[in-house]
Amino acid sequence: MNAVPLGHWLLLTTALFGVGAAGVLLRRNVMIVLMSVELMLNAVNIALVAAARAHGQIEGQLFVFFSLTVAAAEVAVGLALVVAIWRSLGRTDVDDVSVMHG
Amino acid sequence: MSAEVLLFYVVGALLLLSAGAMIRSNDPVHAALWMVGNFLLTAVLYLVLQAPFIAAVQVIVYAGAIMVLFLFVVMLLGAQPMTRSEPIAGHRATAVFGLVALVALLSVAVARAPAAGRMPPPLTGDFGSPEAIGQALFTDWVLPFEWVSLMLLVALIGAVMIARFGSQSEDPEETSG
Amino acid sequence: MLDLSPDWGVILTHFAPELILVIGALGLLSYDLYVRGKDGLQPWITLGVLLAAALATGWLYTMDPAEVFEGRSAGEVFRSGAFLSDSFTHFFRLMSVLTAGLVTLSGIAYMRGKTAFKGEFYAFVLFAALAMNLMAGANDLIVIALGIEFLSLVSYILTGYIREDRLSIEGGLKYFLYGSITSAAMLFGLTYLYGIAGSTSLPVIAEAVRQPENLVVTHLSTFIVPAALFLVLAGIGFKVAIAPFHQWSPDAYQGAPTPVTAFLSVGPKAAGFAVMMRLFITVFGTPELSATWLGVLGALAGLTMILGNVAALTQSDVKRMMAYSSIAQAGYMLVGIAAFGGTALMGTTPLGAVLFFILAYLFTNLGAFAVIIAVDRLTGSSSVSAFAGLSKRSPFLAIALTIFFLSLIGIPPLSGFFGKFAVFGAAVASDMFGLAVVGVLTGVVSAVYYFQIVKTMYFGDPAEGGALRPSPGVVFVVATALVMTLIIGLVPQPFIEIANQAVTALEPIAGSMVAR
Repeated sequence: MNAVPLGHWLLLTTALFGVGAAGVLLRRNVMIVLMSVELMLNAVNIALVAAARAHGQIEGQLFVFFSLTVAAAEVAVGLALVVAIWRSLGRTDVDDVSVMHG
Repeated sequence: MSAEVLLFYVVGALLLLSAGAMIRSNDPVHAALWMVGNFLLTAVLYLVLQAPFIAAVQVIVYAGAIMVLFLFVVMLLGAQPMTRSEPIAGHRATAVFGLVALVALLSVAVARAPAAGRMPPPLTGDFGSPEAIGQALFTDWVLPFEWVSLMLLVALIGAVMIARFGSQSEDPEETSG
Repeated sequence: MLDLSPDWGVILTHFAPELILVIGALGLLSYDLYVRGKDGLQPWITLGVLLAAALATGWLYTMDPAEVFEGRSAGEVFRSGAFLSDSFTHFFRLMSVLTAGLVTLSGIAYMRGKTAFKGEFYAFVLFAALAMNLMAGANDLIVIALGIEFLSLVSYILTGYIREDRLSIEGGLKYFLYGSITSAAMLFGLTYLYGIAGSTSLPVIAEAVRQPENLVVTHLSTFIVPAALFLVLAGIGFKVAIAPFHQWSPDAYQGAPTPVTAFLSVGPKAAGFAVMMRLFITVFGTPELSATWLGVLGALAGLTMILGNVAALTQSDVKRMMAYSSIAQAGYMLVGIAAFGGTALMGTTPLGAVLFFILAYLFTNLGAFAVIIAVDRLTGSSSVSAFAGLSKRSPFLAIALTIFFLSLIGIPPLSGFFGKFAVFGAAVASDMFGLAVVGVLTGVVSAVYYFQIVKTMYFGDPAEGGALRPSPGVVFVVATALVMTLIIGLVPQPFIEIANQAVTALEPIAGSMVAR
């Protein structure tokens, strides 16, 4: 055996995706939640590159290129919102920022 | 066992460990450092997968730019240690159960998928090189390429607008800076 | 050597509406630098750009596809077929321009003085319309993902636009958190599809999932396609706010500036359903393949209708109530998609019924929101009590809102009735009696919460007496929406034909078709 089949790569990335999702669901701090989302996106990107390798064609790598750019744009906006909420509140726990209910 | 297989298992295990350490960190700076480690390990996996260009972009954009952005905000907000409270009783157990179920289901689905056994084919020399990516980007994919440039512009303006210091009332000239 | 595509003329022609929107948005940003954020022509430039985009779309509508595409099939504008400029795209191009235009008109007075960033606000409205256009024509996983992300990004910014308003920022942050999580799930699902097919192009994926070894129904042991579709559904379901991916929407709707709430209730829903139809119908629309997702979609439709209508009953804020109401409306639209295999009814195909429903919903809901925008601006509150005595303070707004609510409930002969009739008829025709019954019963429930507001408007005592004078923009939007609600209700046939013509582009891809 001198290469790794696609299925193993997908299992690895599914596990990584699960770890990221766990961070999202279990942690209440906005910064950790955002970092966990980055983990999930990282898992997606590895899976895309692995699929591109397994199929020997390049679209998957382009997808990653675009999704990296999108992630950068999203992080910028998300962190701006975090900064804004911190200014008006002084806290960044997901539940503390909530005054709307129902 | 070839170097590729060895790298996959070793780096893959480290990847999961660093991710786990990240989500367990109580200090946001520690979490950010674990995340850098995770991103750099990911770049190694991209090299294993014959994607040198993506590996370079990963290091520059993720481990570089995005990381700095995170650390910058962490420092701006002050690195206060975080609580581990559970707002709704049983919420954590439910979430863990749901997650384990989801990941298990997805893993079985992936393992049984017809494409799972697919072995990587031999490649031509320039697969994943900057030339190959650039050629595809500026021919078939020029629309999405232009489009993400607009997205970056929108994100830039939006982030500056939302996070800018000072009052947002009528005259931006008086309050800039 | 770069092999540049030789037919740039064709490409530019078919991106005319999008090019106009891009140039308009960038021009608006430059103009705003020039006037330095003072009140100026920003809204009127926006409306001009939208009008030009609408005219360009109309021009494309009238073209003979064979002539313009120089013999290429399926109206593909890109070499890789990543974007289709067909009648389905044109329909949603018109929806996006109409939404942006009506939101702009009804929001002019509201946004004045609320923010120093006026030009940016209207530029973002144009960018949102652009993102909707690109979602409507997306025929490739990359383009679908980018379209959804683009619209999300603009929506987060618009929701958190009023930085001094804590609720606005909170709504924006919650929207962002839910959105980034669901979009990661969606990207993972898209990755699975790419892994199965080895291509991001929808026609190639359609080809791949029709291969015998990939057929999921005959081989129950491989459920990768249902797993992937469920993950994708999380992302699209978030955009259109169907249960259980709806939790962000009440907070985002309540916190956002009211014109943005109006936009969120129509724009992302229309574009999200466009993507859902293109992906699920053209790729997974054959009888065997649709068995993998029809059940889930039907269950979600039922859950969404029940949850939206029941949760709306107890709301004390009208924007929040409208959030749940629009969740319920998304459930009705989903019924039409779940019933897509059914036979024609009253001249509509089931998917045509969905498009007709969206068209009717667009005018009715934006009209209702124009009234809410006016009340919110003039009283400074969007709670139900702000509507007390509205019949005395502004009889026009009170009557208009009552008619819009009647249409949302589905009372004949208003447009909402025919929308509901068409989708529930399609559900009955494809043996989904349960969904139709749930839809009709929850529709009765919805009458309760709409009439609570009508009762407050007509029998409540106003906190203060003076007459409310809505801005000219709001009056125009309310009048237009009223006329369209009545016309679509009284003369539905031409609109049904437009909807039917649009969905002819959505035939499931035949097994033998090769994409490039």
